[in-house]
Amino acid sequence: MSNPKHDKGEHYLTSPKAEPFLERLIFNNRAVILVAFFILTLFLGYNAVKIQPDASFERMIPLEHPYIVNMLDHREDIENLGNFVRIAVEAKEGDIFSKEYMATLEKITDEVFYLDGVDRSGLKSLWTPNVRWVEVTERGFQGGTVIPDGYDGSRDSLEQLRQNILRSSEVGRLVADNFESTIIYAPLYEKNPETGEPLDYSNLSQALETKIRQKFEDQNPNIDIHIVGFAKKVGDLIEGIASIAWFAGITIVLTTILLFWYSRCIAGTLVPVLSSIIAVFWQLGILRLLGYGMDPYSVLVPFLVFAIGISHGVQVVNAMAIEAAKGFDPLTAARLAFRALYIPGILALISDAFGFLTLLFIEIDVIRDLAVAAGIGVAVIIVTNLVLHPLIMSYIGITKGGVKHVQNHGEKQDRKWRVMSYFSHPGVAPVSLLIALMGLGLGIYYKQDLKVGDLDQGAPELRADSRYNLDNKFIIDNYSTSADILVVMVATPEEECTRYPVLRAMDTLQWELANTPGVQSTASLADVSKTVAKALSEGNWKWYELPRNQTIINATIREAPPGLINTDCSLTPLLVFLEDHKAETLRTVTDRVETFIAENSNDQHTFKLAAGNAGVEAATNEVISKAKNMMLVFVYAVVSVLCFLTFRSIRAVACVVIPLVLTSILAEAIMAVMGIGIKVATLPVIALGVGIGVDYGIYIYSKLERYLLEGKPLQEAYFETLRSTGKAVMFTGVTLGIGVVTWIFSPIKFQADMGLLLFFMFLWNMVGSIWLLPALARFLLRPDRMVAKAREAESKR
Amino acid sequence: MATPPWIRRTAGVLLGTALTVGSPVTLAEIGDVLETPARETKLADENLLTDLERAGDRLVAVGERGHIIYSDDQGETWRQAEVPVQVTLTGVDFPNATKGWAVGHGGVILHSPDGGESWEKQLDGWEAVEKLAASLEEKIARMKEQIEEAPEEEKADLEWDMEGVQITLENLKADQALGPWKPFLDVAFQNATTGFAIGAYGFVFRTTDGGETWQDWSSNVPNPDGFHLNGLAELTGGALLMVGEAGTMYRSTDEGESWESVQSPYTGSWFHVIATGNVNEAIAFGLRGNTFRTTDMGRSWTAVTDTSDSTLNNGVVNGDGRITLVGNGGAVLVSTNDGESFRPIFRDDREGVLDAEPISDTEMLLIGEGGVKRTDLKGRNL
Repeated sequence: MSNPKHDKGEHYLTSPKAEPFLERLIFNNRAVILVAFFILTLFLGYNAVKIQPDASFERMIPLEHPYIVNMLDHREDIENLGNFVRIAVEAKEGDIFSKEYMATLEKITDEVFYLDGVDRSGLKSLWTPNVRWVEVTERGFQGGTVIPDGYDGSRDSLEQLRQNILRSSEVGRLVADNFESTIIYAPLYEKNPETGEPLDYSNLSQALETKIRQKFEDQNPNIDIHIVGFAKKVGDLIEGIASIAWFAGITIVLTTILLFWYSRCIAGTLVPVLSSIIAVFWQLGILRLLGYGMDPYSVLVPFLVFAIGISHGVQVVNAMAIEAAKGFDPLTAARLAFRALYIPGILALISDAFGFLTLLFIEIDVIRDLAVAAGIGVAVIIVTNLVLHPLIMSYIGITKGGVKHVQNHGEKQDRKWRVMSYFSHPGVAPVSLLIALMGLGLGIYYKQDLKVGDLDQGAPELRADSRYNLDNKFIIDNYSTSADILVVMVATPEEECTRYPVLRAMDTLQWELANTPGVQSTASLADVSKTVAKALSEGNWKWYELPRNQTIINATIREAPPGLINTDCSLTPLLVFLEDHKAETLRTVTDRVETFIAENSNDQHTFKLAAGNAGVEAATNEVISKAKNMMLVFVYAVVSVLCFLTFRSIRAVACVVIPLVLTSILAEAIMAVMGIGIKVATLPVIALGVGIGVDYGIYIYSKLERYLLEGKPLQEAYFETLRSTGKAVMFTGVTLGIGVVTWIFSPIKFQADMGLLLFFMFLWNMVGSIWLLPALARFLLRPDRMVAKAREAESKR
Repeated sequence: MATPPWIRRTAGVLLGTALTVGSPVTLAEIGDVLETPARETKLADENLLTDLERAGDRLVAVGERGHIIYSDDQGETWRQAEVPVQVTLTGVDFPNATKGWAVGHGGVILHSPDGGESWEKQLDGWEAVEKLAASLEEKIARMKEQIEEAPEEEKADLEWDMEGVQITLENLKADQALGPWKPFLDVAFQNATTGFAIGAYGFVFRTTDGGETWQDWSSNVPNPDGFHLNGLAELTGGALLMVGEAGTMYRSTDEGESWESVQSPYTGSWFHVIATGNVNEAIAFGLRGNTFRTTDMGRSWTAVTDTSDSTLNNGVVNGDGRITLVGNGGAVLVSTNDGESFRPIFRDDREGVLDAEPISDTEMLLIGEGGVKRTDLKGRNL
C-alpha cells in the first residue's frame, strides 16, 4: 500500500484506480451539485425556521409502561387532582396579622381570580368565602368566613381573624405554621370550559410573574411572593428552552474563533462553520417535514450536529492544508482530502448514527425523538461536511496564510508530537495501561453509588437554586405538605366507589404504606369519611372510625373535596405523600403497593398504579433501569462491529473500543460522585458519548494502520499519525466540548447535567484515543504480521 | 405423535375455564375489622389514642386500628400489645394491676389477664346485637301480655309503645346485615368482677363475673331515646354517675343494679364525668367546655365558668386538690382547688387531647390526636 509517488509529492491522481467512483461523481459535477445543495438548503431552511416548540408532557413519559397506561386510562377522572398553583404571600417582617398585609392579600386574591385558566369556583385564600371556620355547638354546627364580619383592619378584628384561623383547621394548609405567610390556592382548568382550548402554560406563567409577583412585591415592599405548581414549572421550562438561543450564539462564536486560531485561514474557518450551520438547518427542516417539533431534549441536537459537523470539517481543512502545503492546487487538494477522509468519515458518522439509534430502546418519546433527530443530523453531516465542504473548498482553497501556518507551525510542533509519540513507547505504554487500570478500578468503585432517577429535592427539571425550587422549599418548610405524590387509582364498578369494602381496603393499604419507609402520610376518601364521622358526632374523637353503615358513609363524604370521586363514582384516588423521589424510595413504595394489589384486587375494587409525579417517575425509573444495560450492550456491539468491518481485526477493535469503555465507566463514576442520577436526560448521554467518542479512535487508528502498513515502526507510525491527524483530533475534542459546555449554564437542570457529562465524555474520549490507544497498540498490534497480511492480500489481487 | 386436535381443543377449554375461575381468587382477603389482629407497627404512639389508664405501675393506652400500647418506664418507651381486632378502641380500665378491659367500635369488648400485654375478645357487635334482640323480644312478649291484660282505653297507648320497640328490633336486625358498627364509648369496672361497658344509642352492658358473660343492661337505664352514653365514673363513697348525649345523666346508688335520671344542669352533650376523690364529689364536662361540679352525687350542680370554649374530653385527679381536664384544640385546664376554678392553656400543636396521666411531681403524659406527648404539669411540651 505504500505509495512512493505520493511520498515524492507527485500527482497522485494519475493512477485512475486510486480515484474512487464517488470522488469522480462528486468532483466531476461540482457546479450541478452545488446548485442542488443551494436549492435544498433554501427549501429545508424555510422549514427549519418554521419548526414549533413542543413541550408536551406526554412525550416525556414512558407511554407503554403499565403505570402510565393506567394513568392515561383514568386521565379524565383524576384530571383536576394535581393541576393547581399555590401562591404563598410572605410577610417579611412581623406576621400576617397586620392591616397592610391583609389588604395586599385581598388585592392579590382579586388579581388571581381574573387570571386566565384559573377555576374561580375553587380559588381559596383567606379572602375567599369558601374558607370558613366551623364549630360544633349544642344546636349543631356554627361557622362563618375566616375574615370576620365587619373586618376593618383594626386590632380587634385582626384578633378575631386569628381566632377564626385557629378554629378553621387551615393552619398548615392555607396559613403557615408560623403565621408569617398564607397561601392562595388556585386550581386550573386543563381546558378552558368555554372555548375548549388547552391551558396556555407559558402565558399563565408569565402572568403570574408580571401581574402577581412583580406587581405586588413592588406595591408592598414588606411581602415576598412564592409560586409553585405544575403550570409554573412548565412555564419556567419553556422559558428555559428559549435561553438556548443564547447558548447557540455563544457556541458558534467560540467555535469560529477557535477554528480561526487553528487554521489561520478565513476560508478554512467560515466554510466549515457555514457547512455545519447548513447541516443544522437541514436537520431541523427534515424534522419538521417529518412532523416533529422541538422539545427540551431535542433542542440540544442542533448543538451536537453543529459540533460534529465542525469536527469533521476540521479534518477536511486539516487534510487540505497539508496537501496544499505540498503544493497542490485547491481542486486537487480537496480531492485528496476527500479521498483520505471519506471512508473513516462515513464510518465514524455511521457509528455515531447507530449509537444514537440505540436510544430507540428507551420507551420514552422524547428520547426516541432525540434519537431520530440526532440520527438525521448525522446523516446530514455526511452530505454537508464530507461533500459540500470539500466542494466549496475546491473553489476557494486554503489561503496562503493557512498554508503557511501549516508549514511553519507543523514543523514547530513536531517536537511536541515527538514527545507525545512516546505514549506508544514500550517503556511508557505499560505505565499508561497501569494508570488506565487504576482509573478503571476507581471508576468501578465509585460507580457503585450510581443511582437511577432524580436525587435532588423539588422539581428535578430545574436547578436546586432556581426561583421555582426555592419557592417550593419555602412552602415545604412552612406548610404541612409534600411535593412528591404517588397516586394509587382505585377502580370500582359504577356508583360503588364509596362502598365500605372499598374504603376499608383503601384504609388497609394506607396503613401498610404509612408503615413503609419513605412515606410521609397518605390520604383518601377513607380519611374524609373518618374525619367527618368524628365531626358529625359533635367532634368526639372516639368516633374517628370508618363507619360500617353505608348511610353514614354517604353522609360523611357528601362534601368530599373534588377530585376524590369521579363523575360516575367508579374511581377514587389514594394519595401517598413521600419524603422524597429517590428511586429507592419509589421502588420500596411501589413494591409494597404491588404486593397489596396482587393480594387484594377483586371485583369490588381494583387498585392500579400509578399517577402523580412520583408515579410517573417510578415508571420512568423502571423503564430506564431496564433500558440501560440493553442500550450499553447494543451501542458497544454496533461500534465494535463497525470497527471490525472496517479494520478486519479484533485487535484493532480492542484498541479503539477499550478507551471508550474507560470513559463510559469514569463518566458513571462522575455521575455517582456528583449526585447525578441515571435519568431520561443522562441515559442518552452514554450512547451519544460512545457514538461520538469512537470517531477519534477511528481517525487515529486508520492513520496509524496506514503508517504501520508502510512499514514504519510503531512509535514512528504514531508520530506520523499525530503529525497528520493528531492536531485535528485534539482540536475536535475541544470543539465538541465547547459545543456542549455552554449547556452547563442552562436554567434547566437536566440540560446542565447533559452538558457536563457530554463535555467530559468528548474531552476524555479524545484523551483516551491519543494517550491510551497507542499504549494498547503497543501490546495488541503485531505490525510485522499486519504488513505480511497486507502483502498477501496485495499479491492475491 | 401429534395430539388429536379435539383433545387440544378440549384441554384448552378446560384450562381456560380453570384460569377464569382461578384468577380472581385473592391470596389474602382484607380481613373484617372484628376478626383481624391489629397490625404490628411502630407508629401506634404517634397516632390517635383515646384513653390512658394505669395497670398498677404500668401505663396502658388504647387507640385507633386496634392499637393498645403499654409502658413500664413512665411513658419513655412503649410496646404494642397483641390485639385480635382492628377497630378504633375508645376506652380502657384496669380494676387491678393484671386484669383489664378495653372497649371500642363494632361493639367490641376485650379482656387482658396479664396487665395489658395480650387481649382476647369477650364480646363483639354480632353477639351484642343478638343479646339486645333477645331482650327486646322478651320485652315485646311482656308488652303483649300487658296489652291483653290492660283495660281497653290504655291498649292503644301500650300498642304504640310496643310498635316503637318492634321498630328498634327491626333496625337492629337490619344493622346485623351490615355488620356491627355501633361503638362502645367507655368502660368502667368497680372491681375485678363487676363492670360496665357503655356507648352509642344507649348501649349498656354489664358483667358481674369478670366478663365471662355480658348482659344487656339497657333496660335498667331510663334512656328511651337511646342517647349515646359517653362516660361513667364511680364516686368516692360508691355512687355511680353516667353521662351522655344531650344532657343525659344517670345515677346508681346500688352498685349499678338500678339507675335513675339526674336533673341535668346543661342540655348539650356531656363527654365525660370524673370523681374528684372527695366523697360524693364529681365534675362533668363536655361540648364547648361546659363544666359543672357537684358535691352531692349530682343532686345539685354548680357551673365552673372560667374554662374555655373547647370541648373537654377527659380529666385526671392528681391529688392535693389538683385536677387536670383536657380537650380539643390543645386545651389543657388545670385546677389546684378540687375543680372549683381552672386555668386553661392551649398547646401549640392545637391537637385534640383525650386523656392525661401524671407520671411524677413535675411531669404528665397527654394522649390524643397525635399519640403520646410528655409535658409539664401545665400541659406544655418538655
